[in-house]
Amino acid sequence: MSDETKSCPTPSNAEPTATRSTVPMWVFSLTLVLLFLGFVYFDHHGGWFDERVYGPYASADQLDSYQPKSGAAAAIARGRKIYESNCGTCHGADGLGKPNQAPPLAGSEWVKAKGVQRLTHIPLMGIAGSITVESQTWNLQMAAMGAALPDADLAAVLTYIRSSWGNGMGEVTADDVKAARAAIGANPHPMSGDEMMKMPE
Amino acid sequence: MNDLSQQKIDASCRVPLLALFGGAALWLVVGLLLAVIASLTFHKPDMFADCPVLSYGHAQPAANDAILYGFCIPAALGVMLWIFARLSQTELVLPLVPIVAANIWHLGVFIGIVAILIGDSTGFAWLEFPRGSSVLLFAAFLLVAISAVATFGQRKERELYPSHWFLLAALLWFPWIYATANLLIVSGHPVRGVTQAVIGWWFANNLIFVWLSLVGLGTAFYFLPKLAGRPLQSSYFALFAFWTLILFGTWCGIPQGAPVPAWLPALSTVASSLLIVPLIAIAVIVVKTVCGADVHCKGGPFCYIKFGSAAFLLSGLMLIASACPHFSRIVQFTWFGPAQEQLQILGFFAIIICGAVYELLPRIMDFELPFPKFVRFQHWCFMLGIVLLAGSLAIGGIEQGLKNYDLATTLPFLRASTTGLLFLLLGSLLFAANIFVMTLKWKLALIKSVIAAVTAPLEVSEVKP
Amino acid sequence: MKNGISVFIAAFIALGASWCGFVLAPALQLGTAKQTAVLNSGDTYPVQRTGDATLGLQVYRANGCAACHTEQIQQTGIAFEVVLTGAGKNPDAVSNLISTLKLTGLTKEEADSANDKITAVGGKVETHLIPTGADISRGWGVRRSVAADYLYDSPVQLGSLRAGPDLADAGTRLNNASWHLLHLYAPQSVVKNSAMPPFRFLFETRKIGDAPSPDALNLPSEFAPPAGYEVVPKPEAKQLVAYLLSLHADVPLYEAPYTPVQISTNAPAK
Ligand code: HEC
Ligand code: HEC
Repeated sequence: MSDETKSCPTPSNAEPTATRSTVPMWVFSLTLVLLFLGFVYFDHHGGWFDERVYGPYASADQLDSYQPKSGAAAAIARGRKIYESNCGTCHGADGLGKPNQAPPLAGSEWVKAKGVQRLTHIPLMGIAGSITVESQTWNLQMAAMGAALPDADLAAVLTYIRSSWGNGMGEVTADDVKAARAAIGANPHPMSGDEMMKMPE
Repeated sequence: MNDLSQQKIDASCRVPLLALFGGAALWLVVGLLLAVIASLTFHKPDMFADCPVLSYGHAQPAANDAILYGFCIPAALGVMLWIFARLSQTELVLPLVPIVAANIWHLGVFIGIVAILIGDSTGFAWLEFPRGSSVLLFAAFLLVAISAVATFGQRKERELYPSHWFLLAALLWFPWIYATANLLIVSGHPVRGVTQAVIGWWFANNLIFVWLSLVGLGTAFYFLPKLAGRPLQSSYFALFAFWTLILFGTWCGIPQGAPVPAWLPALSTVASSLLIVPLIAIAVIVVKTVCGADVHCKGGPFCYIKFGSAAFLLSGLMLIASACPHFSRIVQFTWFGPAQEQLQILGFFAIIICGAVYELLPRIMDFELPFPKFVRFQHWCFMLGIVLLAGSLAIGGIEQGLKNYDLATTLPFLRASTTGLLFLLLGSLLFAANIFVMTLKWKLALIKSVIAAVTAPLEVSEVKP
Repeated sequence: MKNGISVFIAAFIALGASWCGFVLAPALQLGTAKQTAVLNSGDTYPVQRTGDATLGLQVYRANGCAACHTEQIQQTGIAFEVVLTGAGKNPDAVSNLISTLKLTGLTKEEADSANDKITAVGGKVETHLIPTGADISRGWGVRRSVAADYLYDSPVQLGSLRAGPDLADAGTRLNNASWHLLHLYAPQSVVKNSAMPPFRFLFETRKIGDAPSPDALNLPSEFAPPAGYEVVPKPEAKQLVAYLLSLHADVPLYEAPYTPVQISTNAPAK
């Protein structure tokens, strides 16, 4: 400390001052170049503020193209969307049904049946009157909620409900739906549960 | 400027600054001691297996917070008050307010450190203090800021000196980030999920990188020209550095692979690489101001500030490097990160603040340091300690990243870093010794003069009749 | 800058911008997140942790486990794999074709073209997505961590340093509660030369009463307490282990797609 004050010529009691030499142009140019490069980097890696895009993915389009498409997996993903807009209001997004509105699909023996004939008929014709689901009796009615859907879409919905919520059953193909439509013919009417039971699974 | 008025200005700062520095010196010792204790885990893992209070997960965050909140911020606030008084050429306005604030602040830190040690930490890095203590810190900061701004408002010289920008911005910065972080993640109703982490990163970066840089550079830009005996080169460079530092620096901090949407880390990466611009400007200022001065520092405050400025540039480069995509893949989650933080906190900030305290303390007390030799000795301890600490952690971190985060390969480096911490601890003891003996001497002198004042009239009255 | 106000305005602009970007925007974008769908199933993710596991997170926080452990898995890329699921009507042609094709470690384009070639000769294929990266090859997880993984955590303990392994998916790879208890009490009893500090203070060593406690740790002799004594976990230790077992970040999500080795049919807990 004392060493320093001795060797320091100016009284350090004076307040410091600053010179006024300007910043050279190249510093500004460098800043602009870096800003531009930064923009390019962000364009490639930033996902443009999409909340679903995480690194290493670059964009929502890329991520979309990576979603599983082939085989049953794709049908399930599509079926989920269709289910939520067509059936979910009554049967619930979780497939647990709603009291006095619709029986559950999760664990339902109608859904988990080995064959798909009854299952394809229900949304195409509707179902009314007393039916038993998971040893509980329901006495409501459902219109032909799936009749307006194209074959492939209805097949996707049914595949989705069969493979979700622990149901663990296999695929329903568009051909299955087509066959059921052909069997029903031009004039669908809601079937009763008993009528339905007469049909093979 | 006559010396008498300078003396008055300095004297007006005496008590508030002693209150801030005294606690700060103590926390520096405590913090480094805790850091040594934490690093003992890497020598003998089961050292504190039966003692939760000192186990690694308690001691390590407590050490970090004791150094940052206990030492760095209050000591810097003291230095800031003095710089404001000096630049304004007025006595400190409302000197009582910072005295009260200093006590509230140190009480808050005490509560916070105890809470961390007994397991009441909030679990967010650099924000571990529980609510009660954050409220105290926030209030104390505002009080000091009031006094600082009032002093600033009284200034005789209307034009601002570059240090003013850096320090004034820091006065706004801290309350804003501290209030945001505490309200949104420490309060009773925190934001949900990973947003907590994002706000935590934003806070930590704005405190450790931006706030410390603003205050450290503001202090350096005041003392460098003063000690070198030549003007700062130049005020436009400083203005450019100031703008680019706050504009780019505040966007850093979100790590590359963070589990958040890609735009957040991408923005941080871009901002970090842009930091090269303020770093260049600051390097130019420091080099141009220091070179050409025929002052030899010989381990005095000038040395402290020069070393601190160099450490700042290095830690800035490390920050940029660890945001660079390819390098970050190696060093993320390794000790390279802590190495950078320690370099910033201890190597840059603490050293500059210690240098400033040594420079201003004899002036405000109006007598020489009790142990002037300690100044040079501490400088050596700190330099060695920081090189050992940050150096071994940085190299160890790269090694760790290349070797699958295998702790076994990193242990030798961690053990070397303990030596660094011991040197730093020794240095901090010297610092504390100077401050405490100085305070003690002053108190004794005070008591003597009180006794003299009490006894003097008596003698007179005895003589008269 | 000529006066104090202009400095404040400068600071206000700079900090205000980053506040909007890094505080407000994430709070709006992520703060309202809800459960999301697990890919290819009707399940939603994440499920709320059990009571014990939620308390365990607080033990994890209080003891600063995050000082040494991260909970965030990194992923640097993604690879595709084409898998034959049915040979169709012309098995010879398909197997001939397959022997000439590269089917693993493909890019998206390569996978699509292999897919087209095989379906053209009548084979049935599926394309599998396989995330890549050092963490994934270390077996620390199957895909990168995303915001949904932390939806119900408070405080979120991402950590920033890996003295030990990443724990984001620890419950999947280490699913044995007694292993965890032994590891916490004496890491070296289950991991040779472990450098993790023991957490003996989460356990109680006590005299064996009428009968040994069913909770007592089954320690190897070098770590065992003296004869007549037993080591039992305190409630904190049990909660912590419940938390560690609840750490699963292993379901495929839209934002982090991958093909599970076997299509999962895990029913939601009811
Ligand atoms: C307007 C409400 C409503 C909608 C929309 C609806 N359902 Fe139903 N669904 C019902 C009701 C009510 C029953 C029970 C009828 C009864 O009691 O006879 C039922 C019964 C069923 C059953 C047999 C019972 C069981 O739980 O397994 C199936 C299968 C079914 N619905 C499938 C579907 C599908 C597929 C869709 C969408 C295409 C759909 N439902 C849309 C109301 C609805
Ligand atoms: C000082 C640093 C440190 C702290 C603190 C620490 N750990 Fe560890 N941990 C390690 C190291 C090193 C390993 C690797 C060696 C081993 O498996 O024992 C490890 C391994 C683990 C593993 C095994 C992971 C695997 O994949 O093998 C678990 C689980 C774990 N730690 C949990 C915890 C919990 C819970 C806490 C807090 C109570 C904690 N750790 C605190 C360093 C630490």
